[in-house]
Amino acid sequence: MTETQTPWLWLDARDSVTLAELARACGMSSAELDELVDYGALAPLAPAQPEPRFSAAWVPALRSAARLRLDLELDLFTMALVLDYIGRIAALEQQIQTLRAQLPRIGPLA
Amino acid sequence: MKFKDYYAALGVPRDADLEQIKKAYRKLARQYHPDVSKATDAEARFKDAAEAYATLKDPEKRAAYDQLGRRPAGEDFAPPPQWRDAFGAGGSEFDGVDLADLLAAMGRGRHAQGPHHGRDYETIAQISLEQAHRGASLHLQLDDGAGGRTLEVTIPPGVRDGQKLRLRGKGGKGRDGGADGDIYLHIVLAPHQVFRADRHDLYFDLALAPWEAVLGAEVEVPTLDGPVLLTVPSGTRSARKLRLRHRGLADGRGGHGNLYAVVHIDVPATLSERERELFRELARSSSFKARAAMGPGGVA
Repeated sequence: MTETQTPWLWLDARDSVTLAELARACGMSSAELDELVDYGALAPLAPAQPEPRFSAAWVPALRSAARLRLDLELDLFTMALVLDYIGRIAALEQQIQTLRAQLPRIGPLA
Repeated sequence: MKFKDYYAALGVPRDADLEQIKKAYRKLARQYHPDVSKATDAEARFKDAAEAYATLKDPEKRAAYDQLGRRPAGEDFAPPPQWRDAFGAGGSEFDGVDLADLLAAMGRGRHAQGPHHGRDYETIAQISLEQAHRGASLHLQLDDGAGGRTLEVTIPPGVRDGQKLRLRGKGGKGRDGGADGDIYLHIVLAPHQVFRADRHDLYFDLALAPWEAVLGAEVEVPTLDGPVLLTVPSGTRSARKLRLRHRGLADGRGGHGNLYAVVHIDVPATLSERERELFRELARSSSFKARAAMGPGGVA
């Protein structure tokens, strides 16, 4: 069966999601996400808003951390630490990609 | 129904206690969890371990599983008739039912029923730089456990390596009022023969002859939209990056990244007698000291 598509959501800073959408995407409750905000592991775009929105860039990292939480039976605070490390790893991988792109290519293309 | 040896999957004896089971599972999860491991078979290895753990950590499911006795993995068997009630299969047979689904259904029977969101799918699409730049139509093969289905998607221009996109409501069907699942697409850019991407910027190596670097030159260079002329300023050093503004990848918002030519100065492998004489003449006449910054002894 072949289907056609609906519009993409870009999971980076160009799009945003509501708390409810974020909760649905990572299989967590809004209360749990609020707790992650309290821990400083998750930050809304404009904290003072009654309906906070979050950068869509949070979605992949939260889904990954939520899977680890579920599969490894982690508590929410440990998940907050995992989320932080996922962010750090992504930033370091981006730096490596930047440096690799700028360095002259040595040898044939792998 | 095919038998699965959950004890073997976790590498524990059949009389292992819960602590042993948990420890064995965590060891395997540490090794193969798809969010931790980069091994190609990590997902499948983790799935086996997680399936075994889901049953063996639950005393009721473990007792039901143990009733099946010891069998070779993969052997066909018929579950006990009383499992029909637990599974909710009524009078139907267990044909086509997976052992893991059956045991999971037993667990669900103890909990209140509610809306079930459809399954989310995560899939990787490897595309070329040109496809990222201009957009592309792809056919995604989704394994939905019912023979698979194909989803035709259009990747918008402007995706970059590592980009993640979500397609709402195109995953598994929700049940009992639950929303349909989504598709999460991870973009991977295939290595390119010429360009290296950093977000929406592109880099390529530009070889210059020594006299082009010294005197400057106009050279034809490649871009994703065809060759253009680049002015190399006189006195261009090796490793200098020459920017071609807005000649990089489309960013999906009407703009483009930049294209950078990373200069390296090449020398001829063989010289004619005339070329050699000219270089000797240059060496005699030039006051340039390449290692002046390193001090008189050649050491910084």
